[in-house]
Amino acid sequence: MRPGALSKALKGGAIWGFIVLELIFFSIAGEMVSLSDKAFMDWDNMLLLLKQSAPIGIIAMGMTLVMVNGNIDLSVGAIFAIAAIVLLDSMTWPIFAGLGDRAIPVAWLLALATGTALGALNGLIVWKTGVDAFIVTLGAMLGFRGFVFMFNGENPTSHLNWTLVDFAEAQVLGLHTATWFLLGATLAVWFLMARTVHGRNAYAIGDNREAAVNAGIRVGRHMTINFAIIGFLAALSAVVFYSESGSVNPNDGQLYELWVITAVVLGGTKITGGAGNVIGTLGGVIAIQLLRKGLGHVGADTSTVNLVIGLILIAVLILDRQLNVKGKEALKI
Amino acid sequence: MKLRTILATTSAALALAGAASAETMKIGITQNNVGVDSYQTTYEKAFIAAAEANDAVETVVLDAGGDVARQIAQVEDLIQQEVDAIIIWPTNGEAVIPAVRKAHQAGIAVIVTNSNIAEPGFDFVKSFSGPDNITQGARSAEIMCDKFKEMGVENEAKVVHITGQPGYTTAIERAKGFEDRLPEVCPNVSIVDTQPGDWNREKSQTVMEAFLVKYDDIDGVYAGDDNMGVGALNAAKAAGRDGIIFVGATNFAVGYEAMQAGDYWGSIYQSPVDDAEAALQTAIDVLKGEEVPFLNYFDTPKITQENLDEFSKPVF
Amino acid sequence: MATITRRQVGDALAQQGILIAFAVFMVAFTLANPRFLEVDNVFSVVRSSAILGIMALGVTFVVISGNLDLSVGSMMSFSTIVVLDLHDQIGPLLAIPAMFAMTLCLGALIGFLVGYLRLNSLIVTLGMLSAIHGLTLTYSGGQNMDIADKEGTWFGVFGQGFALGIPVPILIFVALAALLGLVLARTPFGRKVYAVGGNSAAATFSGIRRGRTVFVCYLLSAACVATAGLIQASRSLGSQNTVGQGLELEVLAAVILGGASLMGGSGTIFKTVIGVLILGFIQNGLLLIGLPFYVQFVVTWIIIILAVWLDIAAKRGRLWSPIA
Repeated sequence: MRPGALSKALKGGAIWGFIVLELIFFSIAGEMVSLSDKAFMDWDNMLLLLKQSAPIGIIAMGMTLVMVNGNIDLSVGAIFAIAAIVLLDSMTWPIFAGLGDRAIPVAWLLALATGTALGALNGLIVWKTGVDAFIVTLGAMLGFRGFVFMFNGENPTSHLNWTLVDFAEAQVLGLHTATWFLLGATLAVWFLMARTVHGRNAYAIGDNREAAVNAGIRVGRHMTINFAIIGFLAALSAVVFYSESGSVNPNDGQLYELWVITAVVLGGTKITGGAGNVIGTLGGVIAIQLLRKGLGHVGADTSTVNLVIGLILIAVLILDRQLNVKGKEALKI
Repeated sequence: MKLRTILATTSAALALAGAASAETMKIGITQNNVGVDSYQTTYEKAFIAAAEANDAVETVVLDAGGDVARQIAQVEDLIQQEVDAIIIWPTNGEAVIPAVRKAHQAGIAVIVTNSNIAEPGFDFVKSFSGPDNITQGARSAEIMCDKFKEMGVENEAKVVHITGQPGYTTAIERAKGFEDRLPEVCPNVSIVDTQPGDWNREKSQTVMEAFLVKYDDIDGVYAGDDNMGVGALNAAKAAGRDGIIFVGATNFAVGYEAMQAGDYWGSIYQSPVDDAEAALQTAIDVLKGEEVPFLNYFDTPKITQENLDEFSKPVF
Repeated sequence: MATITRRQVGDALAQQGILIAFAVFMVAFTLANPRFLEVDNVFSVVRSSAILGIMALGVTFVVISGNLDLSVGSMMSFSTIVVLDLHDQIGPLLAIPAMFAMTLCLGALIGFLVGYLRLNSLIVTLGMLSAIHGLTLTYSGGQNMDIADKEGTWFGVFGQGFALGIPVPILIFVALAALLGLVLARTPFGRKVYAVGGNSAAATFSGIRRGRTVFVCYLLSAACVATAGLIQASRSLGSQNTVGQGLELEVLAAVILGGASLMGGSGTIFKTVIGVLILGFIQNGLLLIGLPFYVQFVVTWIIIILAVWLDIAAKRGRLWSPIA
């Protein structure tokens, strides 16, 4: 056994252990205080859990890639809102009027293309100017939000299309449409990170950017692609969510970046890059949604939810540090 | 627990037979954003108190924190928990329609509270319980116009308008009510500028500061609620601009105090306690199968410095 | 010779770029609307910027020491609510020190986690952003906090008062900026902050206690937040629980605009003040020429990136990054 293997296994499994703890806690607490006659761990409830994890979860997959890469993207919430506007508004454009419901896939493609382009723009700026990704995307978070407002002032953009809603609410093989997209995104990013050269390079760059440059990896191009991917996924998340709700407020998606980062860090990805995987992230996303759902189930109020989520994030960081120290791993956090 | 499960199963069976009135009713509520202002917090407390006082109901109280995605998830959770009725305070009057339809299709009675959903969703809703916000806006316009006439400036007065959160039905309706009614009663008063204050006192103060620099002549301010109205009042006081007529809506304690102090002219008296109790009662009436009007408004009278004594100070 | 001169001009441009940009903006806005530079308007802008600015002073220390603070917005809401509540409970004279003590405790907690336990500051302060918001809601029960007797208290002096014809918040901002500017530039502690942020390992070897330096930076940040909360509370004598929400990112934008590197080790108080003023005047100037508030988001985006880019370009001696 390599040194640190045990702690690594512990860390990898930690988030799932935490989920199990949450399930046990909320099941017992739910029996005692909740008025629901259904158990918390009801099968349908667990299916709903996955579906409700989708909006944050799909973006979190991209964030894992970007953070493993040693970068961060704070603009995902704004990209989410822009993509939603493109999706809902483009269906009403006169040029697509003749298409009927066939305008739907066109609107999807337009929204996804917009997200990808905005992500790539971030990536290009990071690459060509050498400005830190945190600053570039902090600026973009403001700038893209400005675009959202410019589009329709401060009014919501709405287009309710029942065909689209029916599609989004459908359940195939028991799983909701949104869940399929979440699992699909997870699988695709997992494959990219674990089974391709691009994925190996992502870890190498995040671990030591200079060494990666010296090894001949085209770091700038590589990072730009990753930013395009997270832009695409933020747009995909919007497409999945707004197909089902049909109206976007200009403030929608605000703070999503913070929730996404929280989920990714809970899932064990290092904020300094070089370590992390999407399976852990999926665990992180589920853990947060479970916490929200569970706290609602036992009747906790808003203040408690905020307090608990904040403290858990810090507790995980401390725990993680302890495990690292014991395993003598030199991972920087 | 088991006993309760059995009870619930039988009650469900009985409900199918159309005779559930003797059993406890399970009512879930998903609120917009508790804790963001006192109105919503007081509403929640009043709702819980009213539910506890009534042995015939059990409630699940949830808060969406202003996030549409979270509200939709909460509606799904309530459907999954098989409540009898869902009361929803929409975060976005249109985005929640599909979720409301889902509840409707699951045979759950949906009651909208405080701020209505958009019209395409009316088919899936039993009743809207809340204030008539268009009338409120119109009444605010009348309060302002009457005051201008009293001051003799009804032919030249200039008004700025600070609206609530964009996209929020209450904000849209109040703005519409005000902007439609003002030209009817005071055709020569002009609205020179409109900016959103997002139901936020500090934001409203900043907006008003900019108005004061931009316009030398402001005679009246209409704010979508007193929280924002007082923010605007603070800005005017800090800039030393006297003689501006402030009119708001949803009379908050700060607005009431400012009226007592003579700084703030008028508002609309709307109690979150009435709002919460009306919502719960509407849900109970619907579940009992009683006739309930689709738009179930509770009265929200005008309040100004002149009739202040007729009202008790709001608790929020 | 000519090339050297051009290089020097480029350096000067990049180093003072933020000042030049500031000057250009001021001239442009004044031409567009002459009221822009009137004393009333300037006072109004600086007074509204003071709260953000005072928070940015503290965050400058944190950023120079190589860390981040995302919790300042939540923490400001907390101080505002606490001081308003205590004002009516124990009187303003006791309420102010009590509020400072409570806010400093939060700062000490963060300083302990980041300084001594060496946890990542982004995640710790992200967690605290959420936790402190929960704490504030628990404290207030979700109610707005208002001072009962608004006319009979002297508490309004910090936010609404004037001294020597200048609004008090501006005086506090200027005084704090001068004080903290001196601490950062002229004291051993200031040098330690730069050393810890510039090269943490080397700083440790040269005998600087990193943990303690970072800890003190967060205490300073909390003290600035408490001051900002005091001014906010005094300005409106009442507040919602969410008054500081979102300010953390505006503060960070101002600090970055001032040229502090997120890698740590660089930045000055003076430049942060310029960064704060630029944000404030842009916001005001765009409103004055009649543009909606969200246009400033896009403008801010462009100047932040241009400012940081020029700064980096000057340091590496070429405009575009050489990375492939």
